[in-house]
Amino acid sequence: MRRCFALLVLALIAVTRPLTGQSQVTGIRNLAFGVVIRGVQTSVAPADPIKSGRFYVRHQLNRQVRVAFTLPTQLPRVGGGGNLPITFRATDAIAQGTAGNSVPVTFNPNNPITFTLTTSADFYLNLGGRVSPAAGQATGNYQGTVTLTCTFF
Amino acid sequence: MRTTTRVSAALAMLLSLAASTARAQSANINATATVYQAMTVTGARTLDFGNVFPGVNKAVAVTDATSGRFDLVGQAAANVNLTFTLPANLTSAGNNLPVGTWTGCWNPTANNSASGCTAFTPSGSASAVAFGGSSGTSNMWVFVGATVSPGAAQVAGTYTGTVTLTAAYF
Repeated sequence: MRRCFALLVLALIAVTRPLTGQSQVTGIRNLAFGVVIRGVQTSVAPADPIKSGRFYVRHQLNRQVRVAFTLPTQLPRVGGGGNLPITFRATDAIAQGTAGNSVPVTFNPNNPITFTLTTSADFYLNLGGRVSPAAGQATGNYQGTVTLTCTFF
Repeated sequence: MRTTTRVSAALAMLLSLAASTARAQSANINATATVYQAMTVTGARTLDFGNVFPGVNKAVAVTDATSGRFDLVGQAAANVNLTFTLPANLTSAGNNLPVGTWTGCWNPTANNSASGCTAFTPSGSASAVAFGGSSGTSNMWVFVGATVSPGAAQVAGTYTGTVTLTAAYF
């Protein structure tokens, strides 16, 4: 009887625990503003196919994923010498499932959001933003990190 | 009965375990930008064909003193696309003087001469060039030549047209 109970416990664990290997989040494209001019605010739309940042997220159909960005407010100048302000607006993120009938969802990257995966088990997250170089901004290359944390339920 | 109780307790524990199996993963991308100073483009010299005669083509080379010239100031070492809007005709009181065979030349060195410049063909498609130097401000001079083709019965007059250069970092 004890042996049966132990087997039952193992079986239930196998059933109730999500498969770890099926869930993943990957950064696949940098948010690249390219050349910006001192004193001129420059935006990248989340739908921009080249400049927008992009992540790939995979989980399981009919399960939930909570996504939360950690966004920089400044991009440090490579080599030092200043920071470049960067901001993200309420419509700067888009989630798009990979199924043909998936509907893109625009959301605010400043706030966490939970998605239920009803049409596909994986999706892309695109991120736009804007940088605001000052008139006296030091010329050069600026770079910061955007982190996406996914909690898989 | 005891077995039932134990199984129930195990199920409750497992359901609790299932509810707490949410796991987090993170990934990073970079946000990048390159800050340049603003670029200025100035039309510095008119492309001047001087006197031309009916039925006789006349060309102005980029190295001629009457070639057109644009002066650019921008970010040292930066790549720039040059795009032109070119007239097909010069006009005078409703009369057209065909102009074509456009030639171009750009020079990023520290002088405003066409000597030793790099040839290109001005057009509505972008031509890639680059400022010289390694840091700070740099200059570039762009020279433009062309050929006018007056007809045998070309009406006398002063013909003019506009050449527009658009320069953009890339």
